[in-house]
Amino acid sequence: MTMGADVESIKSRVKEYIQQATYVEKDKIKDDSLIFKEGYFDSMGFVVLITFLEESFGIKTTDSDLVEENFESINAITDFIIRKNGN
Amino acid sequence: MKDRKPFSKEIILLDSPEKTTEAIVEKLRRDVLVNFKRQGAIVGISGGIDSSVCLALAVRAFGTDKVTGIIMPEKDSSPDSEELALELAGVFGVRTIKEVITGALDGFGCYRRRDEAVKRVFPEYDPASYKMKIGIRQSGLYNNLPPLFTLSIIDSKGVQQDKILNARDYLQIVAASNFKQRSRMSILYYHAEAMHYAVIGTPNKHEQEQGFFVKYGDGAADVMPIGNLYKTQVYQLAEYLGVPQSIIDRTPTTDTYSATQTQEEFFYQLPVRLMDIYWYGFENNYPPEEVAEVMGETAERVEALFRNFERKRKTTDYLRMPPLRDYYSE
Repeated sequence: MTMGADVESIKSRVKEYIQQATYVEKDKIKDDSLIFKEGYFDSMGFVVLITFLEESFGIKTTDSDLVEENFESINAITDFIIRKNGN
Repeated sequence: MKDRKPFSKEIILLDSPEKTTEAIVEKLRRDVLVNFKRQGAIVGISGGIDSSVCLALAVRAFGTDKVTGIIMPEKDSSPDSEELALELAGVFGVRTIKEVITGALDGFGCYRRRDEAVKRVFPEYDPASYKMKIGIRQSGLYNNLPPLFTLSIIDSKGVQQDKILNARDYLQIVAASNFKQRSRMSILYYHAEAMHYAVIGTPNKHEQEQGFFVKYGDGAADVMPIGNLYKTQVYQLAEYLGVPQSIIDRTPTTDTYSATQTQEEFFYQLPVRLMDIYWYGFENNYPPEEVAEVMGETAERVEALFRNFERKRKTTDYLRMPPLRDYYSE
């Protein structure tokens, strides 16, 4: 669990994962790029992303978490992790 | 754009099922008899609308004595499938061969590998007393998140439990289940080669374009006569060709898992006739506003739907690709 991890550290791990998982050129995906709207992830990519978040940040996603607002961008995912860790 | 028909709910209807049938039959004869030099057709029949229409088209093209219907049940198949397939064969007067593939699937470890993954999700699962199926978590169609897969088990009292699947378990269940389609493909090619016939593939346009088929399973065939037809059009042909009403009225199912599951529930997330109309609008680049007005929807929701279609098409390109071999040339 990374309770003390700061925002930038979380963001950088999420970004690194997304770059590795999508094989997209570094810097093409910005912090506010809409990663699902732009089609970087399919269903399997989404499932694996959730597994990565749960294993890396010690969070547990529930059905009600699975909404676009929580996953649409690196910024959104970072906020989601912080919220889950804070509550 | 100027001479394009205004969008309407009837836009996909065939003007003349008779003429469409004639065109398909003519091309089937040319492809199978002339180009492939095969003498007839093998059709796997499941009691579903698509394979029934394919069988009827093959009979028109080659005659009853040059078409054989293969029925391939396994232990999870619905008994309805075989009954309807036999009814169909009776109506069109074609010979059938029944090949039970349960033994082959046991040999491949299909059930064992699938159940091993199901038990990781639901330790209480026992295939003798539970039924199972994979579905998709509904609600994803109008937003940008791709759907997640769920596993459902249903006990003997009908009590259902659902869980969202992780990647490992989902992939193992699907990979194991795909032995079914690939075993059927092997049987079809056995009979086709033994009779010097061609294998008639039964996927329709949606299955092809949205990737709702198993690569080298039901996606493998010599010709796909309805591969460019919307489901609504397949139903029009079924009526015209005289496919039994019991088959026309049946809700399309996957007939892959032990629990009954509709294709809408498993894959499409929309009633197929609605899907047809939206897909037509999408692939013919109709503006979402125009489609929305006709369908009584908001343009935003239609845009989201179109993005969903685009994603589905893009992410399933791999399934439609033949092996790539352009790695080196002199």
